[in-house]
Amino acid sequence: MIVRRMVLFELLQMLKLQGLLGQDSLIGLLLFWIPFIIFIFYGQRIQMWVSLSDVSRSLNKLKLMKEKSRKEAIDFIATFGKSKENLTEKIDQFLEYFTLLPVDLDPAGIVKKIEHVINVRDERVRAEIKRFVSSATDTQASNIENILEVATALNYYYKVVRHYYLLSKKTNSYFWVVQLQMVLPTVLQEAEALMGAIDAFKQSQPIGDGIGAMVVGKMMNEKEKKTVAKDTVMSESEYKGRVLYLIKAEGPGGNVGQPGNALTLLIEEMGIKIDAIIMIDAALKLEGEKTGEIAEGVGAIIGGIGVDRFKIEEVASKHNIPLYAIAVKQSIIDAISVMKKEIAETMDKVMGIINRIIEEKTKEGDKVVVIGVGNTVGVSQ
Amino acid sequence: MNFMSSLEKRSKFLVFTVEECSSCGLKTKRAFQSGDYVYKEGGECTKCKGKTRINMIYSEKAE
Repeated sequence: MIVRRMVLFELLQMLKLQGLLGQDSLIGLLLFWIPFIIFIFYGQRIQMWVSLSDVSRSLNKLKLMKEKSRKEAIDFIATFGKSKENLTEKIDQFLEYFTLLPVDLDPAGIVKKIEHVINVRDERVRAEIKRFVSSATDTQASNIENILEVATALNYYYKVVRHYYLLSKKTNSYFWVVQLQMVLPTVLQEAEALMGAIDAFKQSQPIGDGIGAMVVGKMMNEKEKKTVAKDTVMSESEYKGRVLYLIKAEGPGGNVGQPGNALTLLIEEMGIKIDAIIMIDAALKLEGEKTGEIAEGVGAIIGGIGVDRFKIEEVASKHNIPLYAIAVKQSIIDAISVMKKEIAETMDKVMGIINRIIEEKTKEGDKVVVIGVGNTVGVSQ
Repeated sequence: MNFMSSLEKRSKFLVFTVEECSSCGLKTKRAFQSGDYVYKEGGECTKCKGKTRINMIYSEKAE
């Protein structure tokens, strides 16, 4: 590199001495003015071409991921004894399913409508899976559902990015391309995270998101469990004179349960007077934060579309119940890939925090609900 | 192709299962086997012949 620079410098010096470079030389003028004029008239087009190439490379990556996830889904379901030829068409059809959320022109009462649409979708998906593989157990069916959701999401990401890419090319709009280029790093990161999830669901291994469920599952050991909502179980326990109601999704299938409905049943229908609610979930970390860092806060720490969060907040505020949150920080890739050691080892620390919150914020005789939020793939109770 | 092989390289994590004895507290780490899940009843404790249970399943970067 240094040698090349020296050679170039020597050449320029020689040309200058011979009068071919400098203020009045023709070559110097051409070398400066021609690119300048080209960039004035065609600069944006050149920039657009560079940006489109960048987007095209990312689009190819998304295409590869989409194809791989589709193949993984077909191969996994084929292990249940179905022929791949029959499956391919059905799965391709499944990957194109869409869900139309309710219109929000009049938002009052929209949560109920969203819940209804989501329930219908879940029932439809489960029925389709039973059609693919009638012999699958509930756990296996949940894992198939999760793998198909990953493949559907990747298919959707690819199609949307491709749509805007082709639209930019068609309209020659630099602003469309730039906007697409700006969001692509985030999209690719999420797509890579989804690819990591496939292996976890295939092998039924716990994912990072399941840390909340894992903590509460440990507290439920040796206790009687009862189903209180769809795919959701509850146990009763005791700690230093307080009664604990432990709620988590039912594992080891990949379920998220309905903690909102479970809490509503406990408080509204069973009429139990609750003094505190503690929720544990995974939370996305900021860049620079370490995986497995634990943070405490207040509020309903639960992801998803918002139905469960709405119900928990509604019942807590109606009955004036304090909501405490414990978050285990991790990246999006950690959250949906096989659980990392740093996350699994936070279990004892989180349990210590739960016990401290119970001792500090409640008194003997109080009733506390502890909700372990997360996907329970690979985590029983 | 380079991109897919970089994705596969990233997936070179090994998955381990940790079993804990409910009597003596001995923890045993082994490779994950199909069918393992957290809080599943494990085998016999090698130290005290008590009941073991799978306590954790996690991934670690391959050396």
